[in-house]
Amino acid sequence: MSEPTAIAPPSVLLVRYGELALKGGNRGEFERTLMRNMRAACAGFADVRVERERGRMFVFAPSRLESVARRLGQVFGITSVSPAWEAANDVESISTVARAVLDDALAALAPGARPKFRVHTKRVDKRFPLTSMQLDLQVAERILRESDPIVVDLNRPELVLGIEVRSDKSYVFARRLRGPGGLPVGTLGRVLCLISGGIDSPVAAWMAMKRGAEVLYVTFHSHPYIGDSAKEKVVELVRALSAWQPRSRLYVAPFADVQVAVKGVGTNGTEDSYRTVLYRRMMQRIASRIASAENAQALVTGESMGQVASQTLENLTCIGAAAELPVLRPLIAFDKQETIDIAQRIGTFALSAVQEPDCCTLFMPRKAVTRGRIEVCEDLEARLDVEGLVASSVARAERIDLD
Amino acid sequence: MSTVYLDHAATTPLDPRVREAMRPCFEEQFGNPSSRHPLGVRAARALQEARRTVARALLVEPQRVVFTSGGTEALNLAVLGIARAARSKGRRVVIGPTEHACVRGAAAALAREGCDVVQLALDSQGELDLDDAAAKLTPDTVLVAQMLANNEFGTLYPVQRLARLARARSPHARVVVDAVQAAGKLDCAPAELGVDALAFSAHKLNGPKGAGVLALASDLALEPLVHGGGQEHGLRSGTENVAACVGLAAALELAENEREAAMRRWRELRERLLAHLAKLGGVRVLEPGSQRLPSIVSILWRGAPAEVRMHHLERLGVFVSAGSACQASKHELSPALRALGLSDDDARSTLRLSMGRTTTADDVDLAARAFEQVARELEHVVR
Repeated sequence: MSEPTAIAPPSVLLVRYGELALKGGNRGEFERTLMRNMRAACAGFADVRVERERGRMFVFAPSRLESVARRLGQVFGITSVSPAWEAANDVESISTVARAVLDDALAALAPGARPKFRVHTKRVDKRFPLTSMQLDLQVAERILRESDPIVVDLNRPELVLGIEVRSDKSYVFARRLRGPGGLPVGTLGRVLCLISGGIDSPVAAWMAMKRGAEVLYVTFHSHPYIGDSAKEKVVELVRALSAWQPRSRLYVAPFADVQVAVKGVGTNGTEDSYRTVLYRRMMQRIASRIASAENAQALVTGESMGQVASQTLENLTCIGAAAELPVLRPLIAFDKQETIDIAQRIGTFALSAVQEPDCCTLFMPRKAVTRGRIEVCEDLEARLDVEGLVASSVARAERIDLD
Repeated sequence: MSTVYLDHAATTPLDPRVREAMRPCFEEQFGNPSSRHPLGVRAARALQEARRTVARALLVEPQRVVFTSGGTEALNLAVLGIARAARSKGRRVVIGPTEHACVRGAAAALAREGCDVVQLALDSQGELDLDDAAAKLTPDTVLVAQMLANNEFGTLYPVQRLARLARARSPHARVVVDAVQAAGKLDCAPAELGVDALAFSAHKLNGPKGAGVLALASDLALEPLVHGGGQEHGLRSGTENVAACVGLAAALELAENEREAAMRRWRELRERLLAHLAKLGGVRVLEPGSQRLPSIVSILWRGAPAEVRMHHLERLGVFVSAGSACQASKHELSPALRALGLSDDDARSTLRLSMGRTTTADDVDLAARAFEQVARELEHVVR
């Protein structure tokens, strides 16, 4: 076996983005947003440069390539990332680098493993003297001639040696790291997510982000019936979600007065059982006001059909009817376990699992209504100063900005 | 808003005199005690001075003072270290009825290693049940771990009598005492208590966090938990946290010097607080056991969960602790609370007020006024 050729380590990441390239008219804006988000995601790294060239993005990160690649795994819109080696635009140079890239890829496998491979060239610069297929062949021949025995398989390769020929230089790569997919955050406008310390709402926020929405948050805090550690828990969750969008804004809306007032409506069977639905209707109203002030176009909740007794279709209808904006429920058809799986993947599950009371037993109904009716909600609310309570909570809401 | 801190059983503010004693360790005296140059020698000297101070206060040999990162580590070292070293002599480990999670957790680890772990019981008065203990102290018992003062009520447990019982019935048993709440308030000399090892932490007596001691009464066999450079007589490797050790020693010395006066003051403040509470409707003072630390006052305040009272009080600048957490389904009630025979609702309505060096009569009066205000505020909500 011949000695591997000594070449410089990879210094650039080839970034591919899928879906957004299809969106004809908006393409320019999508690409600009994606670049902005990539730059924001890499802001903590000193010498990172992001460039765009004909349907590809390049991230130059000479000193921290692996960490930057991992970071880009949290930028929506990216489908895959490949650490790449540079080569001069001639067959000799490309072949030399290709051999080294192959050796590098084989070194990561079990000793002696000989995966079936192929070469796959893409020419962005068509002035290159060879066609893609000709270059494939020449590079493969050189590898077959100089390397230990290895088999080519064009149809089912286990290892693809990629070559991109561009105007000034070429790039060679073997690894493809999967990106999160979706659309760049911000390209689909802005939403406000009602977030709690639970497992569901952070996942709902993440799913809205995945489809390109910039997510703002509101949480409802019943101090002094609940301690400030409940609020800190939500702040920590928003911080974790901040890894997925450039910056986050959380509103902490005081809710104790609302709960005291709703409990004050009465304690007979109906009054008691409607409490939870009434609390949630008040949350929708407060959230709607904050959303409007922030130019958000919809609310997002972690509600799922029938997941708890109170989330019946009837109750969801009663609650949603109080919102002044469309309510998006990304988890509507999810089983609990499906939500937990995502929460684990995106890093919010462990934070949500921290034991922290988030509602006070004083305000819980003895038995919550399962088939709420809007007329009943409205009758009970007629005894409340709904407008005053909503306005007061909105006015006193604390704003927390997280970068 | 002035604040009244009544949670000294959780932790205490650093005494300025302790901070001053530690200061050189953060500045010019930064050496590693293992270094042979003058900076190292000076650090080693400071560490040894701290060790001698602790040894003097506890009447043990300096070489039997082991500095640790706190009470939890000291108790883990004692419980695990003694039981593991005594494996050939027996497998029974006896722990007190209300031990801290670190003792219960260490004992659970021993159970997984094949030890037979049993727990002592409280009688209906909240007193340690010594008849029950006598039955549980078998000849193959190698370890008895019991706290000196309870963290919820301040109840003092009869450690001396338990230790005598252990000597008589379990010849191989070593007795370990958790003195985290008691250190600086009671005489904690292991020889006086008749025990083999005693642990406490600095931050409960106006010292720094991150410092604790395991004091040994004799040369007992102890298997270390942390291996490495052989510091702390080979029992706790790792470069010593000199500043924290110096702070611990200073804090213990101060507490010992002021012990009698402080206890007298806490007894007076307790009377003052109880008089205020008596005027407040629906409050019952919980005083299990025959003797208690005067600095801890535990109350059952019916009508609202303790958490709600606590957060209402914090808004008025009064910091206390809830005796038990809010959501019963998720949190087990403590054995000490359970032994009192309280209903779940009552157990969840207990508050702990704990006084310390900085507590004044004004604090007690301010707290009492806050209590009255919270009672009024919650009246209409809890109907």
